[in-house]
Formats: sequence, C-alpha cells, structure tokens
Amino acid sequence: MAKEALDVTPPALLDRRLLVVTGKGGTGKSTVSAALALAASRKRKRVLICEVTARERVSELFGRPPSGPQIHKLFEDVYSVHVRPPEAMREYGIMVLRSETLYNLVFERRWVRYFLNAAPSLAEIVMLGKVAWHAGREMEHGRPRWDLVVLDAPATGHGLTFLSVPEVFLSIVKEGPLARDMKFMDSMLKDPQQARTCIVTLPEEMPANEAIEMHRALAQRGFPQGVLFLNGVFTPRFAPEERVQVARGGPLLAAAADAADSHEARADLSRHYTSVLRSEVKLPLVSVPYVFERTFGIRAIEQIASAIEAAL
Amino acid sequence: MTRPPISALLAQRKVICCVGSGGVGKTTTSAALALRFAVEGKKTLVLTIDPARRLANSLGLSALGNRETRIGDELFRAAGLKPHGEMYAMMLDLKLTWDELVDRQAPSPEKARQIKENRLYQTLSTVMAGSLEYMAMEKVYELWRTGRFDVVVLDTPPTANALDFLHAADRIVDVLDNDALRMLLGPLLKASRVGLRLFALPTGIILKTLGRFTGQDFLRDLAQFLVAFEGMYEGFKERAGEVKHMLSSRDAAFVLVTSPNPLTIEEALFFHRALASDGVQTAAVVVNRVQRDPHRFGGPDSVPALREALQLAQIKDGGDPLLSQRLARTLAEQSTLADLDRREVERLERMLSGVPLYKVPRLRKDVHDLAGLWQIDQCLSAMQE
Repeated sequence: MAKEALDVTPPALLDRRLLVVTGKGGTGKSTVSAALALAASRKRKRVLICEVTARERVSELFGRPPSGPQIHKLFEDVYSVHVRPPEAMREYGIMVLRSETLYNLVFERRWVRYFLNAAPSLAEIVMLGKVAWHAGREMEHGRPRWDLVVLDAPATGHGLTFLSVPEVFLSIVKEGPLARDMKFMDSMLKDPQQARTCIVTLPEEMPANEAIEMHRALAQRGFPQGVLFLNGVFTPRFAPEERVQVARGGPLLAAAADAADSHEARADLSRHYTSVLRSEVKLPLVSVPYVFERTFGIRAIEQIASAIEAAL
Repeated sequence: MTRPPISALLAQRKVICCVGSGGVGKTTTSAALALRFAVEGKKTLVLTIDPARRLANSLGLSALGNRETRIGDELFRAAGLKPHGEMYAMMLDLKLTWDELVDRQAPSPEKARQIKENRLYQTLSTVMAGSLEYMAMEKVYELWRTGRFDVVVLDTPPTANALDFLHAADRIVDVLDNDALRMLLGPLLKASRVGLRLFALPTGIILKTLGRFTGQDFLRDLAQFLVAFEGMYEGFKERAGEVKHMLSSRDAAFVLVTSPNPLTIEEALFFHRALASDGVQTAAVVVNRVQRDPHRFGGPDSVPALREALQLAQIKDGGDPLLSQRLARTLAEQSTLADLDRREVERLERMLSGVPLYKVPRLRKDVHDLAGLWQIDQCLSAMQE
C-alpha cells in the first residue's frame, strides 16, 4: 500500500484537488460528500460536487432543485453538477473536435449513437473525463475554478470498476484524445498529493466487510486513500446495572427499557465495528453520529460537517 | 393485513428473483427464502452476484467460489435446524459464465478461442453495462433448464435501473447483432484486409471523426470483435428469447426487497413500475430493518413521569444527564425512528396495494449464520405481522 495513505493527517484531506467518496449502497455516500463539501467551504474553499450515479441526491440534501447537467450553486461556495453520459459525451466530443457542427453531423447520427451505446465503458470514460477536467483543468480568471472537486462515486463493487476504467481503457487504447485524458485521470487518481479516495461505511457487518475489501482493493491498485467514514454511530448511554434495573422496573418502565435496549444494541454494534475497522483498515477513522432528523436536509448535513470538522 | 406465509405464496415457483437497491438486505432475504424451502424439503440454490461476497458472509462461509456449494449439516445443526431438503449456494463468476456461453455458442473451439482472446471481449465481459444482469439471468436459465434444483433464488445485482436488469438480454443481442454498427464498421473491416482505402467511403468521415475521439485501435478491436461473433447472433438471440420466456412464465416470481429508508422505498416503487410495464407482477414485497416502536410496551415517556416511575421501582435517578432524562431522550429518538419507518411502510403499502407485504424488524444483532436467517424467515412466515 502507498505509504502516503498511512501518514495522511486529516487536515490535509480537504487540501486535495479531488476527493472520491465510495462505499456500499445505502451507507450515506451522498450525505458524506455533501458534508465534506460543506466542511471545505467553511475553510473558504470553492467546491464542486460531481454526482455520477443514475439518481441525483446531493442537491436535494441542500434543499435545492436538481442541478442536472449544468453547474448550480447549492450553498455559499458549494456547487453541484449531475454528470450524465449523454451530456458528458456531447461536451467532451465538442471539446475534442472543436466544432459543434462536426459533432452534430457525426455524433447525432443513429448509427453512431448505436456505436456509442455499444462501446464498453465509454459512458464511464466520458464521465470521468469531465470530472478530471473540472478537478484539474478548468480555469477562471487565471486560476483553477475549483479548489476542490468531490466525486460522489458509484457503490463499492461498481465504484472500483469505475475508478479502474482509465487503466482498463489504456490497456486497449494507446492513442487519441480519450487515451490522453484517461492517462491524466489515472495519474491524478493515483497521485496522493492531488487525490484521495474515501470510504463510507456503517456499523453493520456487510457494509463493514465491504469497506475492508474496498480498502484492500484500492491499496492494491495504487489508489491513495483518505479517511474511513463510519456513519450512523450510536454511543453508549446507559450503564449495564442501569439497564438491568430498568428492565426489572415493571410495566411502567417497559417502553423505556425497550428503547434503552434498542439504543444499546446499536451502540454495541457501533463499538464492535469501530474496533474491527480500526484493526483492519489502516486509515484515520471518522465517526459520524447518527442524525435524528425527520427530513434529511441542510441541518443534518451541517451536523455531519461539524462532526467531520471536529475529527479533522 | 392478512397474507399467507411467503413460502406458501411462492410454493409453486421455481425461480425467485429478489430485486431491490443496494444495501437493503437482498442477500439475506434471498438466503432466508432458500433456507426455508430447504427446511421444508426442497433442493434449493441461492445464487448471488455481488463481488463483495455478501452471501459468503451471510452463510458464514469463507468463500463460495464459482461452484454450487452445499451448506453443511453442521451449519444447520448449529442453528438448531433439521432440513428435510438440501440447500446450496453459489457465487456467480461473471467472466467464467461469459466464457461458458461463448464455448457453447461458438461453432468451433478455434472460434471460441479467437473471441476469448480479443482484448475487447476481455473487458466486455467484466465492464460492459448490463452484462452482469444478463449473465445472472443466463445462469439462472441454465440451472432452471437442467431441473437439478426445485427452487433457484437469485440475489440480483444492485442495479440502479430495473430496466437494465429486465432488458439486459435484449441489449446484449442488440449490441452484438446490430446492422447499423456493422455497416459503420464494415469499411474498417474491409480496409484491414484490402488496404487503407476506408476514408474514401461515405462512412469514412464518420469513422475518422470517431477515431479522433476514441483512437483507431479501439475501432479496429471493436470491428474484429464483431467479426468474431459473426454467425453466433442467432444462438444468442434464441437464448435471450428463452430467458425472457422463463422470466414471464408462472415458474418465475419477483420479490421486491427494500428498507424503510425513503430513498430505497422510492427505488422499490420505481422497480415495481418498471416490472409492471414489462408485464411482470411483483409477487411480494419484503421490508427489512423496520424499527419497532418502544410504545408497543406501556409506560410514560416524559421526564417527570419517568422520574416517578423510577422512584416507584426504587431505582436511583442518577448519572449526568440523569437516568430519567436519558430514558426520555432515548424513548423519543427510538420512537422517532419507528414513526419514520411506519410512515414509509404505509406509503409503500398504499402504492403497492394488493401486493403482499412482509415486514422484518431491525434485529438486535447482525445476521451472519443460518440461525439469523431462520429468524428472518420467522417474520416472513408469520401469518400476520
């Protein structure tokens, strides 16, 4: 494993150009992406969140309408864009060909559309190409437009495939603009100074196991890693003797005893998986407390951002 | 709402596909179903696809490999179960299933070798969108056809798009047998044989432009790949047709699996609509990890009332914050969770009216053995929630 991945001190995390956030489905990748962006914006950074999965989620967390393929502002210094294959292909094609007319003439043909849909992983390639451009090349007033790009990546299994797309593509194609850009992306993703991949997990068996496997797979393929986020953590609240007493407290305390049991069961799981993850994953672990919000909006994101800030 | 135990509901089915988004407990639900039927006396197989080896985890096996693995008697004994049938588990190896398919369809071993050596094939079989879904279906079809198992339960890959999953077969055939694509790449094929006169042809400009975009090697590989597949399209098409037929037959059932999280409920509803638009009925819906309300038990929940209750029970109201305060907070939190879940489940029930719904409460411990799966089954087999 890259040595750099071990000695990362969390404050440096937000000083990268690109943070990739991955984890098993349902672990709260989008929430963590949003909170990371918010935490970075509080350090006066201008942040762009790129979502690449089928459904856009981050804008909703900020209580904003979907950004779609255009960059929209979600919050002070926080922007987001939904990177989708058709638009990414178009933007990319026009950029490479330097002519919209030529693009329309060629790429809008039915045959060619077939070809583009058929070519394996071309969709991922153009999406990553766009993210790489935002993270590494987009300029405004002579300086990079974004201080930080947060990539809300697909879930673990697909996430690893997604990140490996440049390498796989380069094993087939050596020339052409796509190959050049994939080289750029691949070296960026693998440069610990520029990029870090963060894993999000939950204090449950399967997500924790997947996080451990993901951590190993990323290390093996040379992707520098940032921190491991353990989401939805419960902290113990009752002493064992208190629980015993309340449990024996009769019908008046029955509901309270059940609630305390549920809480402590989840606290036990949190404690157990914290120690499993600490011993198996050689990354700083950031515990994010469970957020009791009826609607998961900006307040929840702020709570999580504060937890991240406190840990960093 | 009354509904039959899920095993009675699905008793006649031979192929059960558990569909849902990632992280909702699809694998445990699939395994619990296979376990139930095995205990009842059937020979069952649960097939999982996830690269993260979830099923291996949930069955307490270190690895399933790419083979049918019989769940040993000792695992049943450890769970206090006595199966009247047998249970097998299998983890699908995507690459191997593709290879098997090519071997079967290719007219000669030489041709099969050619295809398998094509660089594009090598990435196609692992990266191509939809191929995971198609290969899963292909394997299920193969297992169903041989009739070696009474029931095959498929833990489907967590695709974001239900249509991907249902139309994977169509799409693969579409890619392989596409006149437009071959017309486009035709000149390139001829050129590679005859010489480099391709850009004189009408499609030449297009090819040249695409080549600027993707690189010429890529186009050439694709062309060679399609040539290698020439003559095999019919076989593929027929096969895809048979898979589709199996899925829409009475032998197959789709079970929607979800959690009470609003986002996954939304996805479940999306899956349901997508299935319906393909004329496939959702046989049942399973909602995992439903938080139970502590108020199903009696007792007050305000700080003063809890204080009094503690006093009555002669429990010291100590600590900081006080025990009564912590209890009140915990009751409020746990009841908030239960309330959120209840509302989501009700919404799902309204939207899926008529589809039997099974709730599995959030268990206090993780499920990682047959005993845990059996506990899940008890919820699925209960006459009422």
